[in-house]
Formats: sequence, C-alpha cells, structure tokens
Amino acid sequence: MTPDELKDAVAGKLGDKMSLLDTGRMVPMFEISAANLLTVAESLRDDAALKFDYFCNLGAVDKTERFEAVYSVASIVHKHRLDFKVILDHDHPEIDSVQEIWPAANWYEREMWELFGINIRNHHNLTRFLLPDDWDQGNPMRRDWDAPDFEKLPEL
Amino acid sequence: MIWPVAFAELRPIFDWLYDMVSSTGLPEPWLSVVIYTGLGAMMFGVLAVLALYLVWWERKISAHIQQRFGPMRHGWHGWYQTIMDAIKLLQKEHVDVATRDKFVFFWAPVMCFVAAFLAYVTIPFGEGLIVADLNIGVLYIMAVTTFTIISLLMAGWGSNNKYALLGGMRSAAQVVSYEVPMVASILVVVVFAGSLSMVDIVRAQDGMFYNWFIFRLPFGPIAFLTYIVAATAEANRTPFDIPEAEQELVAGFNIEYSGMKFAMFFLAEFVNMFTVSAIAVTLFLGGWNGVFLPSWFWFLLKTFAVVLLLMLFRWTYPRLRVDQLMEFAWKFLVPLTFANLILGAWMKYAGWYW
Amino acid sequence: MPDLRTEEFVVNMGPHHPSTHGVCRLILTMDGEKVLKIVPVVGYLHRSLEKICENRTYPQCIPILDRFEYVTAMSCNYVFSLAAERLAEIEVPERAEYLRVIMLELNRIASHLIFYGVTAMDIGALTPFLYGLREREMIMDLFEMTCGQRLTFNYIRIGGVAKDIPAEFIPYCRKTVSVIREKLNDYEGLLNENPIWLVRNKNIGVLPPDVGIAYGVSGPSLRASGVDYDLRRDDPYSIYDRFDWKVATRSNGDCYDRYLVRLDEIKQSVRIIEQALDGLPEGPVKAKVSPNFKPPEGETYARVENSRGELGVYIQSDGTKKPYRVKTRGGSFNQLQVLPVIGTGGLIADLVAIFASLDIILPEVDR
Repeated sequence: MTPDELKDAVAGKLGDKMSLLDTGRMVPMFEISAANLLTVAESLRDDAALKFDYFCNLGAVDKTERFEAVYSVASIVHKHRLDFKVILDHDHPEIDSVQEIWPAANWYEREMWELFGINIRNHHNLTRFLLPDDWDQGNPMRRDWDAPDFEKLPEL
Repeated sequence: MIWPVAFAELRPIFDWLYDMVSSTGLPEPWLSVVIYTGLGAMMFGVLAVLALYLVWWERKISAHIQQRFGPMRHGWHGWYQTIMDAIKLLQKEHVDVATRDKFVFFWAPVMCFVAAFLAYVTIPFGEGLIVADLNIGVLYIMAVTTFTIISLLMAGWGSNNKYALLGGMRSAAQVVSYEVPMVASILVVVVFAGSLSMVDIVRAQDGMFYNWFIFRLPFGPIAFLTYIVAATAEANRTPFDIPEAEQELVAGFNIEYSGMKFAMFFLAEFVNMFTVSAIAVTLFLGGWNGVFLPSWFWFLLKTFAVVLLLMLFRWTYPRLRVDQLMEFAWKFLVPLTFANLILGAWMKYAGWYW
Repeated sequence: MPDLRTEEFVVNMGPHHPSTHGVCRLILTMDGEKVLKIVPVVGYLHRSLEKICENRTYPQCIPILDRFEYVTAMSCNYVFSLAAERLAEIEVPERAEYLRVIMLELNRIASHLIFYGVTAMDIGALTPFLYGLREREMIMDLFEMTCGQRLTFNYIRIGGVAKDIPAEFIPYCRKTVSVIREKLNDYEGLLNENPIWLVRNKNIGVLPPDVGIAYGVSGPSLRASGVDYDLRRDDPYSIYDRFDWKVATRSNGDCYDRYLVRLDEIKQSVRIIEQALDGLPEGPVKAKVSPNFKPPEGETYARVENSRGELGVYIQSDGTKKPYRVKTRGGSFNQLQVLPVIGTGGLIADLVAIFASLDIILPEVDR
C-alpha cells in the first residue's frame, strides 16, 4: 500500500480512535489516546488488510510539558509501515504494555521505564536494564535531568 | 653391575658415568640411587624440552595454516620463544582463589604432570633405549595415563568454580568413554604380538614397513584410525577438546590456574600428545624399525609425523558437542573396535594372517 | 540405582566471556550441561549515545553514532543522514548515492566476514577466523584510503559523502570483490560440508518465522526462517532498485541456515558492488548543506538494512541545529531478546552456537 492508501485505510477502520497528524512525511503518523492504545494495537496487528505484525521501534520523547511515546510498526506481508504516538501526562506518565500484542516491545518498554520514568502497566519484568544496578540518580533521558557529572556542551 | 636399564646405544656413555660416580668412592647402594636420579632428571629434561619444542611447533603450524607467521622474534623463526615463555611463566605470581580447596588445588597440576611423565618408563625410544621393559608395558601405560583424569577432576573440583567443575566432569566422562575403544583397538595388536611388553611388540614388527602392524593386522588401518581418534580424545585435543572448550567454559578445568601451575597443565597436554603418538608408533607403525638411520631417529621421525597429524586435526576441525562426543564413542567407536578385536582374535586363532 | 540427588545451579556467563561478543551477561540456570533458563543482563556498554546526541548538532551526531554499531559503522552514518535528509528534504547527488551503496555493501561484506570467522571460532574451528579477517583487511584498506579510518568512518554525511574516492579506489575495489568472490569457495569448502559443523549447527536453535516476527528479529536471522523481507527492497531507500540482485532466504531457521544466508548475502553484495562500480557517474558528491544544518520542525523514523537486521534512527527536530530527540534501534536488541526463547532447553554449547549465529553484538544493544 502506498502511504496515502494506508492513511485512508487506517482512518477508515480506526478513525474514531486515531487522528492523523499532518507531518507531510513519507510514513503516516497517527495520534491515539493512552486509553485506546491496546485496542488500537490489537486491531492494527490483526486486521487482514493492515496486519502490522512487526514491531520496529518505540521511543519516548520528553516535551517538558508532556511525554510522547512514538511507536513504529511495520507489516512483513504488506510491506508498509506506520507510526503512531501516544501523549502522556508529564507528572504521572503511565502507559499500557503492548508486549502481549508485540512481544518485541518488552525491552523497549523496560528501557522507556528506566530512562524516562514512564510507568508501564502490566509489564512483567520492570527491572534495571541499561543503567547500573545501584543507579540512584533518576531518569537520565528526561530533559530536566541533571547530575553532578553531567556536563552540557557549550552553545556553539 | 647389572643394569636396570637397557641402554644399548648409549652404553658407553653410561659406563663412563658409572665409572665417574664409582670413582668418587660412593658405596654400592648409593651408586644406583644416584644413577636412577640422574636418569630421571635426564628423562625429565628431555621431555620438558620436547614439550616446549612441541608448543613452538604447534604455534608455527597453526600460524602457517592460518596464513600467519607465528613467533618470529626469538631466534630463527622464534625457536626459543617457548623457552622464554616458560621462564616468564615460572616467574609469574600465583593467583589463587580464596575459596579453593587448598590441598586438591595444589596437587592437581602436580599429578597431571607426573601422570604425563610416568608413561615414559616403558616407551622404547630406540633399540634398547627404554627405561624399563616391563612385561606388562601396555597395561602399565593404560593405567598411568588414566591418572590424568583424576588430576583434571581434582583441578575442576579444587578450583571451586562452576566452569572448572563442568570442565572437570566433562573430561572425566570423555576420558573414561574413550578409554574403552582405545584399549579395544590396542588389544588387537596385543593379540597378534602375543605380548604386553612394548619391546616385544616392536620386535614383532621387525623388518620392512610391510611388517608393521598397521599393514599386517587383518583390519590394521581401522584399528590404527580408531586408536588415533580415541587418542585425540584422550589428549583432550580438538575436535574433542570439550573439557577446556574455550568458547563455552572459558578455559574449563584450568580456568583458575595461573603461572607455572597453568604451565604444568599446558605442558602436560603436549607431553600427553607426544605419549599417545609414541604409543601409536610403537604399536602400529613399527616403533624404532627402519633402515640406515639410527633407531631412535626413526622412532622420533614417526612420532613427530603422528603429532603433526594431531596438530592438523586441531587447526582444521570445529569442536563436537559433549553429547555428540559420547554418542560417537559409545555408538560408533566401541562397536567398531570390539568387532575388530573379535575378528582379529578369530583370525589369529584360525591362523589367517602372515 | 539409588536416589541420586541432583541440583540446578546458576552459571554467570559473562560479562567477560569469550563467546558473548562483547560484554553481555547471561545468567544461566543449568541442570548439568542443559540450560533451563536464560536471563540476559545488558547495559555494560551503555554510553548514553542518545543523550549525547541531544547536545550535539546534526553533523556532530554522526561520529557519535559511529560507535552505535561499530562493526558496520557506515550503516549508522547512513541511517542518521537518511533521517536528517528526509526531515530537511535534501536531494543527494547521484554520485554520492552510488558511493554510499558501494560503501554500505562493502561494510556489509566486512561484517559478514567477521560473522563467518567468529561463528566458526565459537564452534571451535579457529582457522576460519583468520581467513575471514584476511579478506576483511582488504575492505578496511579501501575504507582507509577513502576516509582515513578503518572502523568508525564518519564518511557518509548529511547530503552526500565526506569526499570523493581517490583514483586508486576503483581498481582496488574491483580486485577486492573478485578476490572475495573467489575466496568464498574456500570459506564454503572449509565449513559447509564439514560433518562436525553440520551436527553442531543443523536443527540447532530453530527460530520459527512467527516467533521471529513477533520478537522483531530482522535481517539475515529472520530471512533464514523463510521470511522474505529485506528493507533494501521492501522499504526502499537509496538506489537499490537500480541493481540486479536477489534477497537471500533459507527455510529452516536453524543455525546452519543463518550461516548460509550470510554467505549468500556476501555474494549478492558483491554483485551490487560490481554493478555500482560499473554505473558510477561523475559529478558532485555532496549537496549543499550548511554547517549550521537546521531541519524544519518534524520527526521521522528511518530504517535501513544492515548486516544484523533493521537499523533504525528516530529523530525529532524542533527546528534548531540540535536534534531534540534521537532514538536508535539495532537488530541485535531484538535478536538478544529472542535468545532466551530459542536457546532454552539446549546444551550450553548450543547456546554458544545460537548466540553466534544470531550475530549479536553488544554496542548495538546497550548504546
């Protein structure tokens, strides 16, 4: 499917739960609410025409007033790709785990939990991941994170 | 005096030595002690140098197989590189784990080293060049080389390390399994020679190369090949080097050893390799028999050829898995060697051989 | 036999272990030789590349991302440049695209040659390692004469490549690929039919295609399971559609097939390089890109096929000269995730073989 067809197909099937973000990019980007994540993810994976069975990437972005969790999924059969993002509250970020739908998401969610402090609901294994076992300096990927040995480069 | 040792070719030297020692006025009982000690030291020195030389040789062969040069700096093509290595290892600090079993940990390399050298009592290096021609020579060699397992098991247990323990257990299982086909393939030779004495076995192959047991036995090549395979396993070399499988168990039983203790394991491995090759030569390839050249030269030549074969194995084959190794021993080698033994015994009985 | 009390025990494989390809730690629960449970512990090589990138300008990010996956650093250069070019909609000159393809494929071959040697070494054959590195050395020479570096290149830049190739590059490159094509026979002769190699690899660590897809396994490891999916063809980037090549697949999904797929890929890469050398046009090698490169506000996730699978970079730009967020994704990250699934129940020697055949390297996991 071309990106335009894909946009229409997704909007037609899940239009009430997803809203298209006009980013003018090659791959369509949708926004969904945190409450709808699991149902949307399941229909994205199971719908025969979409069949997003392959989990590419999950990255969180700290926008200082909110968090964005950006998911990239692809379809092996139909060879198309789709991105969608979930907006999270900055004070109490919490999101459902999608590892039941895409097992590959397991470690991405662990990483997001550890580096951003976003709580993952129903995740089976939220333990220390990339950081040292005795790490006690917070969530380093947050924009406001500061630590004694963290130096920002001077502005050019 | 009656020599406890049959040194035909070196007799003049030893007569001279005997004169030298007796001229000091030592009483007769002490004389033999001194001579024995001297012989032991000589044997030890020869074998230690031999092992070092084999290490160098292995390094050069592996290098040339792998399109490298190997050691080049110390002497001509690095010929005294391994001697320098040994000196370095002698000087190194012993790092011992605190949780080791002190007694077992200390004695394991000693035992390994001693077991490796004990076999040389009955190996005929040449005509008359044998420390003691025991009439149970083959049995004796089989018995003492098995001590190596105990030492590896001791090393694995004493290190108090899981990798080492796995390595020790693997080696015990492996050596015990491969002992069976090894002995069964050797027994064919014993049946035909009618003796367990190493010298008698060599004498039974007197003459040209077609008198060697590898060609004279009904299925000589099979016996020889099964022996070589089992011997490779006995010497813990690739493709049967699972006790120290570097990629799985890091270094296996010798993981916690350092300095000279490690070197003792290392040198013992090379001495063992030489032992199994020497046995192969004695039993199958006619021992010291040859033409024109001195007998010890023929013996060493043949032995080094077998050693070369073992080295080529090591640098060309991947490693088997532990269960496949056992399967190979029990399901393939044991039936084959026993069939060979029974067939050989029957042919000997029926007289179908020359 | 009287009751024999056996006990499971825990072995800590790594972080310093010869066959964990870096500093991966696997906590193994074992019953004798049998592996009952695998828990990978990662993070020993975490250098917080993503955080560092937030503090650098776009061109400064490229040498940082070289360290992300240093065995195929060209792909890291490329995927970041690709994402930035898509954000800023930069047209890359023709010659630069050809040079990029040549470099990417050379680097893929180099990586697969390392795989060949290291896998053989993990199975216990020490000689193929040196054979693999010998031909890799020629590729490293090519990189060295092009950009002065042998491992981390910083060669592919936003808008093109850093500089044109020297005059002696093309003849030496032709020689290199013909040597590799010829030496592939040696490689196959050494291992493909070797009975020990076969029993160690056939039917070991079978990765069913559905499990592979579910766990996000990509690249040769997934193609060995029969999934015909190659980003060079299925999510087109650069100019791969101009060349005549095939996606190498196998069907069994065991260690042996993963090994064969990589050897097949070397052959395909050689074909691509030869065609790219034939078709290399004249012209500039870099589009005009300001050193103060500022893409417009936006975000994109770009992915390329490198030797370990899908290599992706997500960039979010806020319109300044520094990326607001860079998220990297490497193939090994998912391959290591699937290791407990397919490695459990085998022997420890199988685990080593599986680890090697998935071609996991740790900088890509830890970042």
